[in-house]
Amino acid sequence: MKEFARRMVGIDRRVIFLLIAGAVLLPLVKPFGLPIKVSPEVKAVYDYIEALPERSVFLLSFDFDPSSKPELEPQAVALLRHAFRKNLRVMGMTHWLTGTGLADGVFSKVAAEMEKERGKDYVFLGWSPGGGSLIIAMGQDLYKAFPSDYSKTPTPGMPVLDGVRNLRDVDYMVSLAAGSSGIEMWYVFGKDKYRFEMAGGSTGVIAPGLYPFLRSGQINGLIGGLQGAAEYETLITQKGTATAGMDAQSAAHFVIIILVLLCNVFYFMLRGEKGRPS
Amino acid sequence: MIFLKRQLPLIITFVMGVAFTLQYYIPHPISEEAITNVSKWMQIISGFALFLGLASLFHVHAVKIKRQVPGWGYSLVLYAGMLGTIAVGFWSHGETRVAGAQTSFGWLYDYTMVPLQGTMFSILAFFIASAAYRAFRARSREASVLLASAVIVMMGRVPLGQFLVPWTWDVTQCLLNVLNSAVRRAILIGVSMGAVALSLKIILGIERSYLGGGRDQ
Amino acid sequence: MPELTTATILGAWVAAGLTLFIYSFLYKDNPLFKLGEHLYVGISVGYSVVLVWHTVFLRLLWEPLRKSVSEAPALLESYILLIPAILGVLMLVRFIPRIAWLSRIAFAFVVGFGSGVAIPRTVSALILKQIEDTVNPLITMGANGLSMGLDLASPQSGVNTIILLIGVVSVLFYFFFSVEHTGPGMVTARMGVYFVMIAFGAAFGYTVMSRMSLLIGRFSDLIKFSGAEYGYATLILLAVTVLTLIGWEALVRQKGQGV
Repeated sequence: MKEFARRMVGIDRRVIFLLIAGAVLLPLVKPFGLPIKVSPEVKAVYDYIEALPERSVFLLSFDFDPSSKPELEPQAVALLRHAFRKNLRVMGMTHWLTGTGLADGVFSKVAAEMEKERGKDYVFLGWSPGGGSLIIAMGQDLYKAFPSDYSKTPTPGMPVLDGVRNLRDVDYMVSLAAGSSGIEMWYVFGKDKYRFEMAGGSTGVIAPGLYPFLRSGQINGLIGGLQGAAEYETLITQKGTATAGMDAQSAAHFVIIILVLLCNVFYFMLRGEKGRPS
Repeated sequence: MIFLKRQLPLIITFVMGVAFTLQYYIPHPISEEAITNVSKWMQIISGFALFLGLASLFHVHAVKIKRQVPGWGYSLVLYAGMLGTIAVGFWSHGETRVAGAQTSFGWLYDYTMVPLQGTMFSILAFFIASAAYRAFRARSREASVLLASAVIVMMGRVPLGQFLVPWTWDVTQCLLNVLNSAVRRAILIGVSMGAVALSLKIILGIERSYLGGGRDQ
Repeated sequence: MPELTTATILGAWVAAGLTLFIYSFLYKDNPLFKLGEHLYVGISVGYSVVLVWHTVFLRLLWEPLRKSVSEAPALLESYILLIPAILGVLMLVRFIPRIAWLSRIAFAFVVGFGSGVAIPRTVSALILKQIEDTVNPLITMGANGLSMGLDLASPQSGVNTIILLIGVVSVLFYFFFSVEHTGPGMVTARMGVYFVMIAFGAAFGYTVMSRMSLLIGRFSDLIKFSGAEYGYATLILLAVTVLTLIGWEALVRQKGQGV
C-alpha cells in the first residue's frame, strides 16, 4: 500500500493534465444539465436593471481582455440582452487596450440579434488611456473624454447620448473587470464623486476581493465568474455559453477535489515513515 | 542646471499634488474646469507613456537579433508578427469592423490574438490542478482550515456540488459575505493606508524613485 | 446556421493551430510553443501600436486640435492641447541620454496629479466607507421594537456584524508587526490567522473556478472547429501537432546521442 502511495505521490504531472482535459472535454460533448441556483448578489443586478424605466442610460465597461473572455463575455452578452430587451440606452467602453476588438464584437453581435441601431440605441465609445483620469474626465465632460466613438462618429449630437453630459447622467453602470483597472477604480474615481449606481461583474480570481464593496453597498451587486454569468442567463431565461459550460465546471471541480483528497490520503499514509515524503 | 534637473520636478510634483488634493473639496467652477482639462491631458500623456513600454520591447528583441543569440529566430517571428499587424492595422484604419463587416485587422484580432491570449492563460488550469495535487496538504491546523474552506467553496459554487451537498451553497455564501469580507476589508484598509502614505511621500518629495535615478536625484 | 466564409474557415484553422501550439507546452517546452508565444507578443504589440496611434494621436489630439485651431486660430485656448503633446514628447526623450532629464518634468506632472487625486478618493472610498460598514449597529428598531438579528445566513444580521468586526480587527492586528504578538495579542493574531486561512481557501476555490472557466472556453472553441463545416480543423491540426512533437523529440534524442 505504501509503495502504491509513494508511486501515486510522484506521478507524472502529465497524467493529471490528461485527467483535467478529460473532465472538461466530456461534459462539453455530453452535457448532463443541472439546474443553476441564483445568488442574491447576481439577482440584485438583475432586479436593478429590470426596474429601470425605458431609455434610461446604462453604461457597460468592458474592463477585460481576451484572456478573461470565457468568463466575462457571457456576462456581457447576458447584460446586453437584458438591457436591450428593456430598451435602455447603452453606452459601452473599455479601459483595456487589447479588449477593444472583443468589446466591439460583442456589441455588434448582440445589437444585431436584438435589432438595435448604433447611434440611436447604443454607442461603443471604444478604448481610451488614463484609467482613473479617464473616469474623472468622463465624470466632468463625456464629450471631452470621448470626442468620437470607436467608429469615429462624433459623439456630440448622437441621439443615444441625448441629455447625457457626464457620468452624473448615467442611471446604472456595470464594470466587467478582470483586474485592478476595473470595479475598484470605477468606484474610487467615479461613483464616489459622481454618484451613479453601479455593480460589478468579475472573474473568479478577483471576485472574493470585491465582497467588502458589496457588503458596504458601494456596489449593489456582483456577478462572479462563469457561475455568475450562468445565473444571469437563468434570470433572463436565455441560456448561453455560460450555462453550457457549467457541467464541465462541475466535473473539473470534482476532479480537483478528488485529487486534493487523494493527495492528503497518500500524504498521511506515508507520514508515519522516517523522513517526510517529497 | 541642478535646479532644472532636481528641484523643478519636485516643485511640479508638490504643486500638482497639493492642487489636486484640494480640488476634491472645492466645487468652484474654476476648480472643476481645471480637473476637466488636466484629466483630459492625462489621457493623452498616458498614450505617449504606452509607447515607452513598447519601445523597450522593440529594443530588447532588436539586440537579440543583432547579436544572434540562441533563439534569435523567435525574435524575428516576434518582429514579423508585430510589423505585419501594424501594416494590416493601418491599412484597415485601425478598425476591426466597418458597417458590421469584419476588416483584415478584425480577422487578425479574432483569429490570432484572441485564441493566443486566451490559451496562454487557460494553460494555468492544468498547472493549478497539478500544484493542488502535489502541494495542497493538511500539514497543520491552519492548512487544514484552508483546505476545508477551499473544498467547500469549490463544491458550493458549481451546480453538481449544490445538487449533491446542498448545505455547501449556504456555507459558501456565509463564508464569502462574512469571513472572507472581514479579511479582505482588513487587507484593503491596510493597503489603502499604505497607498495614501506613499502618495504623501511622493508629493512631499521624500519618495523620488519615479524621477528615474541618477546622481542628481 | 449561416454559411461560413473562406475567411472564417481559414481563421478557424489558424486559431485552432495556434491554440494547439500553445497547449503543446503541456508535453514540454518545444519550438511550436515558442513560435506561438513569440507570435502572441508580436501581434499584441502591433495591435497596441495601431490602437494607440488611432485613439491617442488622431482621435484625442490631432482632430480636436485641428478643429479648434481652424475654428478660432487667434484664440490662445485653441492651442491648449499642445501642452499634453509637449509633455508626452518630453516623456519620450528619456531614450536620448543627453536630454533624458527633461522627461522628469513630464513624470513629475503625471505622478503629482496621480498622487493628488488618489489621496482624498482613496481615503473616502477605501478607508472611511469600509470602516463605516464595519461598525454597523447591532441592535435595530423595527415594528416589534428593538431586536438583534441572529440569522447566520443573513450577511447584515447582528451576529454576522460581530463576526465581521472581530475578523477585521484580528486580521489588522495580525499584520501589525510593530507590536509583539504576546498574551491577548497572540490570541487576537491567531484568530486573525484562521480568518486569513478561510479567506485564502475561498480565494483558491474561486481561482480554480476561474482557471477552469478559461479552459472550458478554449475547449469549446476547439470542439466547434472540429466540425465538418470547418474542415475538421482541430482534429487534423491535433494530429499534425502530435506528429511534429514526436519528430522533434526523436531529433533531440538523436542529437543527444550524437554528442
